[in-house]
Amino acid sequence: MRPVPLFSPGRVATIASGTVTQLIRMKTFYFLLAFALVVVAAGNFNLPATPAQELSMIKKVSFGTMDLFAWLFAIVATALLIPRDQEDRTLYTILSKPVRRVEYLLGKLGGVLVVVGVSLVAMYAICATMIGVRESLFVAAEVEAMQADGRYSEEDIAGQVGLIRQQGLRPELAIAVLAFFLKAAVVAAVTIFLSTFASSSLFTIIVSILVFLVGHAHTMASSFWLHESGNSAFVRMLVKVVKILIPDFQLFAFSEGVVLGEAVVWPLVWQMGGLTLAYLAVFLLLSLLVFVDKEF
Amino acid sequence: MKRLFQRLPRTVPVLALLAAFGLARGPIEEGLRARLVAANLLVPPPAQSAFEQMRQSVLMATLGGLRPLAATYLSLEAFDHFSTKSWDDLRRSYEIVTSLEPRDETHWVAVVWHLGINATANMEIDGRLPAFERERRFKEYAFQAIDFAERGIAQLPESAAIRLQLVEVYREKLKDDCAASRVYGDTIGLPGAPGFVRRFHGYYMARCPGREKEAYAYLTALYREGKSQRKPTLIKEIQDLEKKLGIPVPQRIPEADPDRPRPNQAPRRSSNVLPGGIVVP
Repeated sequence: MRPVPLFSPGRVATIASGTVTQLIRMKTFYFLLAFALVVVAAGNFNLPATPAQELSMIKKVSFGTMDLFAWLFAIVATALLIPRDQEDRTLYTILSKPVRRVEYLLGKLGGVLVVVGVSLVAMYAICATMIGVRESLFVAAEVEAMQADGRYSEEDIAGQVGLIRQQGLRPELAIAVLAFFLKAAVVAAVTIFLSTFASSSLFTIIVSILVFLVGHAHTMASSFWLHESGNSAFVRMLVKVVKILIPDFQLFAFSEGVVLGEAVVWPLVWQMGGLTLAYLAVFLLLSLLVFVDKEF
Repeated sequence: MKRLFQRLPRTVPVLALLAAFGLARGPIEEGLRARLVAANLLVPPPAQSAFEQMRQSVLMATLGGLRPLAATYLSLEAFDHFSTKSWDDLRRSYEIVTSLEPRDETHWVAVVWHLGINATANMEIDGRLPAFERERRFKEYAFQAIDFAERGIAQLPESAAIRLQLVEVYREKLKDDCAASRVYGDTIGLPGAPGFVRRFHGYYMARCPGREKEAYAYLTALYREGKSQRKPTLIKEIQDLEKKLGIPVPQRIPEADPDRPRPNQAPRRSSNVLPGGIVVP
């Protein structure tokens, strides 16, 4: 008999592809329709704003919604997977085969991340189309109006077009999408850890959302709480414990700066990628610690 | 060892690992945060005052990582206040919006435009208020707009758009030519600043009492730069200054007065006559 390897990327890939199929069968991609509606609605607000202001608003609404869908999707999809496998008895079939539990967890997480990644790319394509179309319409209208006026030099027209382009479709926006993906990956890893000991999907979803909200708020809210409590020792201790136990999701909001048009600092993007990998490794290890001896 | 590990409740290693990771990542994340804030990629937490002004829903959205969406929602709400001319509510909305997204230039430009131009214009014509009150509020809104603009410039020192909106308040509403000239001067050379700001800096300097000589030197220097700068307004301003300062004729610029009557020029239409001869009373 051939010995079973300790770890097989092939087995992980098989479980991941099964997870992708499972999520597609749950009709998860239908939320893209809702996203497209939000983007179209944002693109048709009739406000007395300059083209640059309007583009900025379309971008912020679209990317804000993209962020919301990404982390929410990561939580819900991950929370459903292990309980669903238990209900369908697929889990028993898988674990009775020579599949390590770490491979199972990695495969599940990998599958969710593939679906989140594909969804983000699809949302970005919808959003980029909208921004690109609006931008070219705005630029054409502005150039025509300025040329018809006759008072503006080529330099003035170029300046005005530059102002619109600054808020339009730029390749750096893809980094904002990457930031959403990194955040969703950490959220999925935390959720998979919670689902290893949770009793139901509902519990996992609620606790994961709470963890996400606290993880997003603790940096922002700690100064407020400390101020309100008169810098009390108890609140300081509580804040410290929360900061140690719960991931800091606010760091991943660096997408906001990118969407606003700030220059991307590549070393910081790589460092955020490294931090995400560390989160994934630790939370997978934590999940494994709980899952490894779990009796089904 | 293995047996001990198996006997330990799983909570112990889980909590230990979680705590160890939390302690290890703390300083790394603090350093990363500082670098992201310095690179303007991460927005620092909103000011204490902004937290106090936020309604519960907006506060929750902000804390929950939906800061851009909360800011957009409040901008739309501010537009609603603009439609109903609720200027104080509009100012309150923008106090929060600008705290949530201090590095978004469009919010600063919009609030300066709303308060400095729209609210002041409304005070000029609002017949429901006594004249004294209208005048008082007119100044109040104009100064609030200036305050917002200065805060915006402190956040975005390179912003030409905020300065151009501010200068409109000084120029059109407060009729403060000295301040207008100063702001135009500050705008020169900023990224995205239009070419006309150099000339406008001089035009408004010429109208600022006591700075006529300086304005004359500045505008003639622009004139000497060449044809691209020799716009009719520049020539007119220089000629007015030449007369005002008593510049000897040989030193004056050779151009004819752009406002002189020309033989083949069509007679000027009165300002209250529209094309087609329609008279506006």
